[in-house]
Amino acid sequence: MESFEPYEEFKPIPLPVLIIAVALALWGVFTLLDNGKAVTVGRAERSDQIADQHANRQNGAELFVSRCATCHQPNGSGVEGAIPPLASSPFLKASPEVAMHILLNGIDGPIRVGDATFEGHMPSFASVLSDADIVRLVTHVRGTFADRHDLLTEGDVATARLLAGRRGAWQGGQEIAARLDASLGPQPPMSSATQAAIDPIAQKLVSQGNGQTWACASCHGMRGQGSASVPRLAGLPAAYIAKQLGDYVTGKRRNETMQLVARTLKPQDMRRIGDYYSVMRAPSNARASLGGDLVRGERLVLDGDWARGLPSCVSCHGPSTFGVAPSFPALSAQHPEYTAAQLTAWVSGTRDNSTGRLMNGIAARLNDADRRAVADYLATLPPVPAPATRGRTNGK
Amino acid sequence: MNRMVPLAILALAILAFATLMLVIAPAIQIRSEAPTPGLKPYTAQQLRGRTQYVAQGCIYCHSQQPRSIDQAPDAERGWGRASVASDYAYDRPHLLGTMRTGPDLFNVGARLPSRGWHLTHLYQPRAIFGWSIMPAYPYLFERKEHAEPGDVVIILPADRAPKKGVIVAKREALDLVAYLQSLDHTFPAPTRAVRDDGYAEKGEPR
Repeated sequence: MESFEPYEEFKPIPLPVLIIAVALALWGVFTLLDNGKAVTVGRAERSDQIADQHANRQNGAELFVSRCATCHQPNGSGVEGAIPPLASSPFLKASPEVAMHILLNGIDGPIRVGDATFEGHMPSFASVLSDADIVRLVTHVRGTFADRHDLLTEGDVATARLLAGRRGAWQGGQEIAARLDASLGPQPPMSSATQAAIDPIAQKLVSQGNGQTWACASCHGMRGQGSASVPRLAGLPAAYIAKQLGDYVTGKRRNETMQLVARTLKPQDMRRIGDYYSVMRAPSNARASLGGDLVRGERLVLDGDWARGLPSCVSCHGPSTFGVAPSFPALSAQHPEYTAAQLTAWVSGTRDNSTGRLMNGIAARLNDADRRAVADYLATLPPVPAPATRGRTNGK
Repeated sequence: MNRMVPLAILALAILAFATLMLVIAPAIQIRSEAPTPGLKPYTAQQLRGRTQYVAQGCIYCHSQQPRSIDQAPDAERGWGRASVASDYAYDRPHLLGTMRTGPDLFNVGARLPSRGWHLTHLYQPRAIFGWSIMPAYPYLFERKEHAEPGDVVIILPADRAPKKGVIVAKREALDLVAYLQSLDHTFPAPTRAVRDDGYAEKGEPR
């Protein structure tokens, strides 16, 4: 042995180090278990949420109150000259398929109930009510107001729903009587004056653009339904759309893409596009997607929260938030990403163009959870029915 | 060096344990995941576009993994719901990305569906967003005196348009845009999907 190989004598690991190591290991195991619980809780909560949204457990009477009574009145009496009564309505006395098809497609034309004729503007509830909901609602309404008790099955609704996507609203009572049930008796015909003449210039602008900018439909869709951050335009007031386009030019409303588009449009183009979209009717493709509390959302939309100085949405945007022309747009069936983004834009100042700057204050008083709740709830409402101004194009 | 063999065994054991927990176990966990209902396989054109997405380096600045609402307001930005493992069933390899210098693109097809918009934006992002820091990709386009039949002419504001002729998209640009338009995962995630549940307390939105 010429050289000495150095070596360390055996020394045990110091006790504090051992204690720290054991503590860390225990902490790791605890975190694992704790996180495992979070997964279980998360899954259970999510399935509850999905179950709540998709298989709404409301019974027929509750569905009637939340979905129908605003217009048809809690006692089914309707509103004279505006909303047809349900009580002893021939449409309810007819086969249950009639009420089902009306709920799925909506009505857009004159109908006769009893001795009175009504200009029908009923939204389609296809995106709002599940098959089971429609069965419960039709059973309740026909039992209560027409004393009819023959039943509809969920299968019937599912079959009819497939067809509902392809055809638009019923064009008045005559079409319903001819297609569904002759026992409805004589119904008023759809007058040609109420059928909107499609403006070919607006149609070209929307579907192909003007050569200087992208076509409206390339983002907003061929039926004006929008998607995610791209708003639904179908059924918004004509004057509202024209005003927004004008505000993009002046900078009162800021969005880089839309500002570029609006600068290529002449004022008369803006009015034409507004008129075109205002009479457009398309099924809803919006879905609650922000994880908002729908019950809280419904309360804010219908009642507001006066303790926080929040008026209800319906007090300005009209019953069912279908909009009040010319200033207040429809909010129903709007994509929640878009609604939430606008509520944020009023706070940040990128949008500053609401009537009397009302929205600036309201948006500032909404917190994150409430903003999501409102946006999500509005997405669950039926799309706006054809407006009463239908047919009176280019009048503004 | 003393105790070479035990040291080597211990080192290998630690590596094997890490591989088991970080590679093998997750692989077993997601192997049986069927594609999310609603997810479509890529078309040939979209796959070519996907190659462009990789080749142009989009992945360095753009992620494809929206977070749940308790981690980031991605849903409110229009970036979509939190992604789940089965959303990536046709992505080999996945293009999750690690950086968000630009916005998440997992649902860009729903948020920005216009082909014309994307072509303009790829040719010159600053034609739309004056403040954008995204590189321009002019070499995916060419200038022609006149558009030929079948050419896709891109729309440019007057100050960005060429003095003479038109800008048309090359096939690479059209492929890339087809891929971007296909990025639409707005269908609902299955309840039992493998996903990150975050650390949200009971009752919080996620």
